Amino acid sequence: MAEFTPQVPKPDESVPFWRDLRVLGVLAQIAAIIAVVLGAAWLLNNVAANLVTLGESQFICQDGSSSFRCAFNFLRLDAQFDISETSIAYDPSDSYSRALLVGALNTIKVSFFGIILATVLGTVTGIARLSSNWLVSSVARWYVDIIRNTPLLLQLFFLFFGVILLLPPIREAIQPFGLPVYLSQRGFEMPGPVMMPSFRTWLFFILAGVVLAAVFSWLLGRIQQHQSGSVHRWLWPVLLFVAVAVGGWFFAMRSAADNQGLLATPESGIATFDDIAATVQARLGVDELRDLDELEASGVLTEDEILAAALSVCAVRDDPAEVNLTAQLRRANIPYTVSRNTTLDKTAADFTGGDCDVFVASQAELADIQSAQPELATGTLVPLAETPVRISVPRIEGLNFVGGIKMTPNFAAILIGLSVYTGAFIAEIVRAGIQSVSKGQTEAARALGLSESQRLWLIILPQALRVIIPPLTSQYLNLVKNSSLAIAVGYPDLWSTAFTTLNQSGRPIQVFLIVMGTYLSFSLLISAFLNWYNQRIAFVER
Amino acid sequence: MTTLYQNFQSVVRGEEGAQINFRDFIRDNITNSWWLALAVLFLTYVAARLVIAQTQAAPVTTLIIVGVWLLSVTATVMGNITHHHSRVTMWLSRNLYTSLASTLVTLILLLLVVAALRGFIGWAFVRASFSTDPEVAAETLAQWDNPGANWGAVIDNFRNLMVFRFPREQSWRIWALILWNVLLLIPSGYVFSREVFRRSRLRTVLIILWLFTPILAYILLRGFGTGGPVPVLNPDLFWGGLLLTLIIAVFGIVASFPLGVVLSLGRRSQIRGIPAWLTYGITGLLTVYLLITTTFPALRTATGIGQQLLAFWPLLIMLAAFLFQKYFKGNAVAMLSTVYIEVIRGVPLITILFMSIILFPIFLPPGVEVLSTWRVLAAVALFAAAYLAENIRGGLQSIPKGQYEAADAIGLSTAKKYRLIILPQALRAVIPAIVGQFIGLFKDTTLVAIVGLIELLGVANLISAQPDWLGVRREPYVFIAIIYFIGSYAMAGYSRRLERQLGVGER
Repeated sequence: MAEFTPQVPKPDESVPFWRDLRVLGVLAQIAAIIAVVLGAAWLLNNVAANLVTLGESQFICQDGSSSFRCAFNFLRLDAQFDISETSIAYDPSDSYSRALLVGALNTIKVSFFGIILATVLGTVTGIARLSSNWLVSSVARWYVDIIRNTPLLLQLFFLFFGVILLLPPIREAIQPFGLPVYLSQRGFEMPGPVMMPSFRTWLFFILAGVVLAAVFSWLLGRIQQHQSGSVHRWLWPVLLFVAVAVGGWFFAMRSAADNQGLLATPESGIATFDDIAATVQARLGVDELRDLDELEASGVLTEDEILAAALSVCAVRDDPAEVNLTAQLRRANIPYTVSRNTTLDKTAADFTGGDCDVFVASQAELADIQSAQPELATGTLVPLAETPVRISVPRIEGLNFVGGIKMTPNFAAILIGLSVYTGAFIAEIVRAGIQSVSKGQTEAARALGLSESQRLWLIILPQALRVIIPPLTSQYLNLVKNSSLAIAVGYPDLWSTAFTTLNQSGRPIQVFLIVMGTYLSFSLLISAFLNWYNQRIAFVER
Repeated sequence: MTTLYQNFQSVVRGEEGAQINFRDFIRDNITNSWWLALAVLFLTYVAARLVIAQTQAAPVTTLIIVGVWLLSVTATVMGNITHHHSRVTMWLSRNLYTSLASTLVTLILLLLVVAALRGFIGWAFVRASFSTDPEVAAETLAQWDNPGANWGAVIDNFRNLMVFRFPREQSWRIWALILWNVLLLIPSGYVFSREVFRRSRLRTVLIILWLFTPILAYILLRGFGTGGPVPVLNPDLFWGGLLLTLIIAVFGIVASFPLGVVLSLGRRSQIRGIPAWLTYGITGLLTVYLLITTTFPALRTATGIGQQLLAFWPLLIMLAAFLFQKYFKGNAVAMLSTVYIEVIRGVPLITILFMSIILFPIFLPPGVEVLSTWRVLAAVALFAAAYLAENIRGGLQSIPKGQYEAADAIGLSTAKKYRLIILPQALRAVIPAIVGQFIGLFKDTTLVAIVGLIELLGVANLISAQPDWLGVRREPYVFIAIIYFIGSYAMAGYSRRLERQLGVGER
């Protein structure tokens, strides 16, 4: 064995500079910076050389000069491509920046709903994995194993091309469990809420209710500190909130009594809302509209006869007043047909042309039309009752669905694919989190006499959350990043619109900078929020 | 439940005045809480609906399932009453029929699982065609209203799925590579798992052979010369299918290792930073220079407040300098590593792949062309390095401070300290995490199908465009899903075993 003699520097001997860590550290940094700067310079030099071939038109300013300052000026040019799904108004004549914004909003939309769905699915599956029922835990384990061990892109392709596009056509749409949900190759249709004009009034009440409940809860907390015995810190504020919200609902209904209305032709003989049923009954020659389905089934009336006698409605496309009226007509079982036109004037023209019995719109609009067009003055204005929110149900009309919420096949594929994939990962995180809470905690909670739900909410979950949140953050980030695979199923997310922009404008560097910057800021925002939350719930270490 | 069974027992024994106490049973299983009552009600409803629906769809199967369920429930209940459990009823009472709700859930899931399995088996085997002749396949499938899988498409394209366009007469090169790896793998598994060989020279030999493997793989798969035994193959044309998937995944992990280690060490480095006066001095001068040369001219031409604000962008340099001093204490190495890692981890892989295809040529000197396979491989390696760096950093953090201090105390240089003490322990600790990352990369290779390389998923997409197998999509997808599943599952199992062997987390 070699002799080992430690070399202890003599006190008067100073460390040579090439072994001085401080000097070495600064040298290493200078070397790193020089390497990076040189590398960047080389790359930029190449870019400059290549730009000659790409064309300097990349940097043309408005005044015709060429400068790096104007690298992003192209964003103001017309995009000239269509986007199949938009959450804000968009037209091919809008600018590239607007197109990118539409894409970014689509990414936010799919990420937002994806995160919610994946969390719910993951939590349920994670708990199911720990179920005492063998079948439940095995099914959950198979789901997690299969999804986690196959690529997301493959799942998306399978879901889109192998499942959704092979669904039946619209006419034979599948209705699962008899619910008003329709699955077809053209997408998913489901009922959805439509906000009426009075929704704003109600929203004010809801906000006021939230504030009141929060203040009340805080007050109860203060009382609890000074008093022995338990106070329900959640029940009473929630009840207060519900009371305010319900009160607000009725207030909004009353205040909206003359918001919307119908303009009825004199021939139809409709003067109040209740007259509608009477009119249709008279046309059909039946006493009770409730029996309509039976009469049709027994062959007394044919579908065509009913349609001919049905109330015909003229409405402006996407007007909430139409949803309001048809919801009330359905409740009274009154058959109706709707003809829609794009603007108020065109719809009014249809109405004067004698296409329909009633013209539904807001009362202010109807009054305007009436004063502008004297031939409409003979019509009767019937006020229409309104609730802040109406549920719009999809119906087949002709070759398409009308009403409700529509999910395109592309959106459905990316949303379901992302949620199912991320849900499997979240399930494992939730399971690990719950298992990390020691059994003694459960036993202690039982010994204290807490109920099962108290044990879950007060003992297990708060402790499990501390383990769950950090990996959950990274799963949320993964979901947002994976939403860029939407391009594979044709959903116009940020990356997909950016790619089209890149191809059309011929400015790859700028587009990549924008896209990467946007994804980075999404990531930073989510992790900042969840870090804040994590710090709030973290153990206070003593 | 016990009370009810005790009562049952008394009744069975014929004791005086014995009667079944349903009240306790109902309390335990239904009315214990509102939630439980609602759940039981809901489950009963769902079970009833499902039984009715399934009876119409598949009467015999459903009858058998419900019958078996009823019989086994009865047997279990009888077992509970008489305290005479067979092995089966014991298991059932503990795992499937623990409570009323659990019993109902069992029935529901049983019906659903059997329906799903019936559907899958019917599609995959019963109504399926296995003929590679498209006409025969079409005939076979036409006899069903609801035709099943057309496996002929997969069988016919098996070679395409495996190696795509790799020349048929050169197949021996792939077989040789597989043989080499198997021949190395068998002794390695033996030698590296046994303590006896700890200091044996066999280990060194094997490690050298393993290090030689990438070179051999390159020679065999890429080739050299034109007339020789292994002529050059253009990877853009001849690499594809599972072969390309494996090349990308293995290359990604192996090639990202050096950069990953450097980045992780860089991010944790605690060398003395650039002093604040120097940072602020340089950036301050730069900012003033840029303000004078760009901002003031720009302000003159600016229209609107937005452009005026944009003109002040040089101030961002000062902000960056401030953040650099605040968070990195002037340590440029740590800053560069951190920025690289976080930027790469913050953007989707697909944007990086597209960058390699679209931007890479712009960043190279004019006239230099690189094959897209190499570009994608480089992108995957650069991407994997950022994730690998974070994994290794986790390992470095798990090393107790004492190890660093002990290394310092025995007078090791920094390089030796890391090479001999820290890295061996840190890397050992993160092997499972690296295997996990490799699984992720193996799955992520599918993304290169979007940028135009024909790997496994790319071939599967192409099959549906073949005239013979037009529109056949599900079958190839299911087939490659099985390949991915087996690969990932096996590796995950290996990683778990490794974790136990290494005793990670037990220290």
